[in-house]
Amino acid sequence: MATFNFKKREIECKIVYYGPGRCGKTTNLEYIFKTYKKQIAGEMVSIDTEGDRTLFFDFLPMGLGKIKGCDVKVQLYTVPGQVQYSSTRKLVLKEVDGLVFVADSLEVRREKNMLSLKDLHENLKSYGTSIFKVPLVMQYNKRDLEEEGIPLMPIEKMDHDLNRQLKAPYFSASAIKGQGVPQTITECLKLTLLNLQKQLKWAK
Amino acid sequence: MDPKDQVISLLKEADLYQQQGLLNEAKERYKKATKILKANTGIKNGQELIASIVKKVVDLNQKINQINKATSKPTVSNKKQDLIKQLFAGAGEKDDASNRLEGAIALAKFGQFDRALEEFERLLDVEAVRVAAAKNIARCHLEVNALEDAASCFDRWVGDDRFTSAQLDKIRFFLKGRFNKLGFDRELYQREETVSDEDIQALEMEPAVTESSQDAGHVPLTNTQPAALEDMELPEEDEFLDINSVGIQLRSGSQKGRMIEFDVSFQTGNSINLIISSKESALLNELEKGTELKDMQFFSPIAILNGSGVVTAKTQIKSGPKEGDYSLDITILTT
Repeated sequence: MATFNFKKREIECKIVYYGPGRCGKTTNLEYIFKTYKKQIAGEMVSIDTEGDRTLFFDFLPMGLGKIKGCDVKVQLYTVPGQVQYSSTRKLVLKEVDGLVFVADSLEVRREKNMLSLKDLHENLKSYGTSIFKVPLVMQYNKRDLEEEGIPLMPIEKMDHDLNRQLKAPYFSASAIKGQGVPQTITECLKLTLLNLQKQLKWAK
Repeated sequence: MDPKDQVISLLKEADLYQQQGLLNEAKERYKKATKILKANTGIKNGQELIASIVKKVVDLNQKINQINKATSKPTVSNKKQDLIKQLFAGAGEKDDASNRLEGAIALAKFGQFDRALEEFERLLDVEAVRVAAAKNIARCHLEVNALEDAASCFDRWVGDDRFTSAQLDKIRFFLKGRFNKLGFDRELYQREETVSDEDIQALEMEPAVTESSQDAGHVPLTNTQPAALEDMELPEEDEFLDINSVGIQLRSGSQKGRMIEFDVSFQTGNSINLIISSKESALLNELEKGTELKDMQFFSPIAILNGSGVVTAKTQIKSGPKEGDYSLDITILTT
């Protein structure tokens, strides 16, 4: 849940990158960390296994400067994607203000995408909120693998699988190349801050 | 597609999936390639290819087993534990002890039990959170299946002057309930109280209680009980789950429908106590004695329950670190 310090005119909110294992959530944050040095308010911390799988979460603090007279700080998190880290995912998701769902475009990961989205939906429900009420952006990642001749799902198919009811904004991406990453986070921040402005009436 | 081309395509996919960390998918592709090679013995160097694929599958299996065997909550560095404590301690302004308690709970939830225990032990010095800290110490031990350690902690607290008898009773009820559920038959010591002349006079009017053998200052629970304790009921098996926190929904105002979560300070059976910050004025205005709360959520370690409750008491705290905040008693009606 966003914290709003009326006295200091500071607002801090939380955005979580969700999705199945190995879909590119950490890669998204790594790209943001590398590219947006001015906005990064600290170190990126990854609590991961030896090498490459996120164990607990990744964390990246950002400062967006003043927006409508308020200092806006954003905390970006990723969750671990593997099935066995379900309880940790739920902990990280607590009090989330905005979401990016990163889906894996590989055909072989179609079912994992859908299971992960269902998991997100259920975890939000357990906190008394709904996936329809949290600002959400979809990212269809790994589009670059088409050039390698690897079977990918068409965007239309992914959107139909994952987004036909949610109707969230979506972006094609190749997080490893940085394509689509800025657009995704920008849109998510926009939706999140609009939602917070509505809830907190902070601009008035 | 020509079988040879199929094999090449499958191997390419398998290698890529392996690079991506999709080990099961890679294994699947290797197996398909092997099947095609076995079915098409005319493919040049087929046997060598099969041998090479078998080796890759063996390596993959080792990696998959390693990942599957890895504990889901290993201990991380102190620095990362500090971060967990800081990030997951909950939002909003709270006093220092409440923040520290939430941070310690976050550590426990992430499986950092040793560090969490250190934090909870320090919090035993703080009156306002002592019972919560003690219960969480017990929970940490229960979580790692160290039931005797949990019981030993309680025995130690019986002789610890920081704990009042009332506090020990709450902790004992909690522990007994857990032990009953786990089938752990272990007596918990009870403090031998210092009795005043007035108490003696009052007791003389009650039936005599049985004396039992005892260590200095410690008396097994089931044998001798002061009259006041005989009226308390221990939690029955499968009675109320230990509730960690509750969600209460605002019913009116600009934030109608918003669910706010509060940690449970303590629980006795179906009665829970919350501390609500004085800043939550919208909610406090709705919560008077007798108010029925529908659409509550009760968060326990093993389940989230929906239900209802009724406010049985609401008192403003007059002193201490939570001065000005409100102590709220809620009786759970349905879950």
